[in-house]
Amino acid sequence: MEQPSPYLQFQNVTKCFGDVPVVQQPFNLAIPAGQFTVFLGPSGCGKTTLMRMIGGLDTPSSGEILLQGAPVGEPDIRRGMVFQSYSSFPWLTVRKNIEFGMRFRRDLSVTQKKERAEHFLKLVGLGDFASSYPSRISGGMRQRVAIARTLAANPDVLLMDEPFGALDANLREDLQFELRKIQKNSGKTTIFVTHDVEEAVFLADRIIVFGPRPARVIADVDVTSLIGPERNEDVRDSERFFHLRTEILHLLRGREIKKSLAS
Amino acid sequence: MTATASPTSRKNPRSLFRFREPIPHSAVLLAALLGAAAFLGGWQLLVSLRVVAPVFLPTPLKVAQTFVHMCTDGAMLPNTVVSVRRVWLAFLLSALLAVPLGILMSGYRIIGATLEPMIDFIRYLPVPALVPLAIIWFGVGETTKIFLLWLGTFFQLVLMIAADMKRIPNEYFETAYTLGARPRETLLPVALPAMLPQLMDSMRISLGWCWTYVIIAEIVASDSGLGFVIWTARRFMKTDQVMAGVIMIGLIGLVTDQCLRLLHRKLFRYQ
Repeated sequence: MEQPSPYLQFQNVTKCFGDVPVVQQPFNLAIPAGQFTVFLGPSGCGKTTLMRMIGGLDTPSSGEILLQGAPVGEPDIRRGMVFQSYSSFPWLTVRKNIEFGMRFRRDLSVTQKKERAEHFLKLVGLGDFASSYPSRISGGMRQRVAIARTLAANPDVLLMDEPFGALDANLREDLQFELRKIQKNSGKTTIFVTHDVEEAVFLADRIIVFGPRPARVIADVDVTSLIGPERNEDVRDSERFFHLRTEILHLLRGREIKKSLAS
Repeated sequence: MTATASPTSRKNPRSLFRFREPIPHSAVLLAALLGAAAFLGGWQLLVSLRVVAPVFLPTPLKVAQTFVHMCTDGAMLPNTVVSVRRVWLAFLLSALLAVPLGILMSGYRIIGATLEPMIDFIRYLPVPALVPLAIIWFGVGETTKIFLLWLGTFFQLVLMIAADMKRIPNEYFETAYTLGARPRETLLPVALPAMLPQLMDSMRISLGWCWTYVIIAEIVASDSGLGFVIWTARRFMKTDQVMAGVIMIGLIGLVTDQCLRLLHRKLFRYQ
């Protein structure tokens, strides 16, 4: 099989905040177009910082991040971000929030923007809540608003920072299923940050497993080749899924045990 | 558990004194009325028992009569209008300058670093201490009063608005950046609506300060306004008129504040 050319690439990236190293060893990673990549690791391991650097919200202390061969700079519309909290604007209705995603696009007419907003409203199943304010809908719906808003902007890369972190378990599973479906249909290259192993296995084509800070990759897991590309409730209950989940859990735990023995 | 506890607790008056627990709405209303009645009753008693001479403390009824009389015979209302006009003029002038400047100070750290120490110094200068300077500069006309009120509120308000802007979660801005906004393009569609509820509260508070300063300005250098009415009444030892004037200020404050709160609730229903 032909090796896909890297769409997004980390080249010897390091990062310090002041004199606190977050990514100490040069970080290298090549991500092909359309891949759903999950950065998995314990809190404070630097995974979020690595993702923020793709978005231009933090800059590497050394090294480079390339998008389609060109270094990424200041944040722009090509790299859309969905946050865990404050993800939707409370002063705008659901529809206006989604329209905000196209506010800075000059290639669309007003009518096109309205039509596109309608399309994404339906895509995330919020048609009935178009004129509600975020405070009147559930946390899960608010995250859908944020996802729809970012998709409406049509970025090349979708960045997600624990977007389902504050939701309860059932809702999380529903949203994971929908997100995976939306991602496969749109073919958007996606980087998703989480510390939840099951979430990572369910969503990812590929998981980059990080050890504790400073960031170091302890495994690069090709999930699709292990459990297949299809993801649904049956897959979640399957033996393969359970095994992969357990293996990664042990991997993460192993690091922690070694660390505590060392100290 | 609560179902069995509530009937007994309703009968027991001690239930009104449970630490940090809510009380019924009727009790809130009754307590407020009883508190006010006790205050007025105590006041009346002090005068009736001749503990205090009526010339120093007229009865509540006498003050109320004077208040109504002053309102109907014409001395109070025109002067109230004069004071209200001064307060709003100075307040709007303050707000118009303070809102953009506060936003800029917080948005661009270098502007904040340049202005903040200066503003911090000026805002601690007591307004009465600046009255002589204001009279030297502007005489005793309308400009002096507006200047004093502006001085008393502008520097406080700028810092409050800068703080309101600082409190906006960074996620809002970062979301906008990754949707293609340049930093300055976030000011109107993101920063302003995000801080607006806080900003309105800051303005409401500084409007209250304006009322303090207008009375000072009118007492020191004026021939009109509520401060002038109060000060003139003092010269003739008309304690009832002094108190009626003070009550007028309190009433205006109360009404304005309630109106602004109502507006706040209507405007920010999405919260």
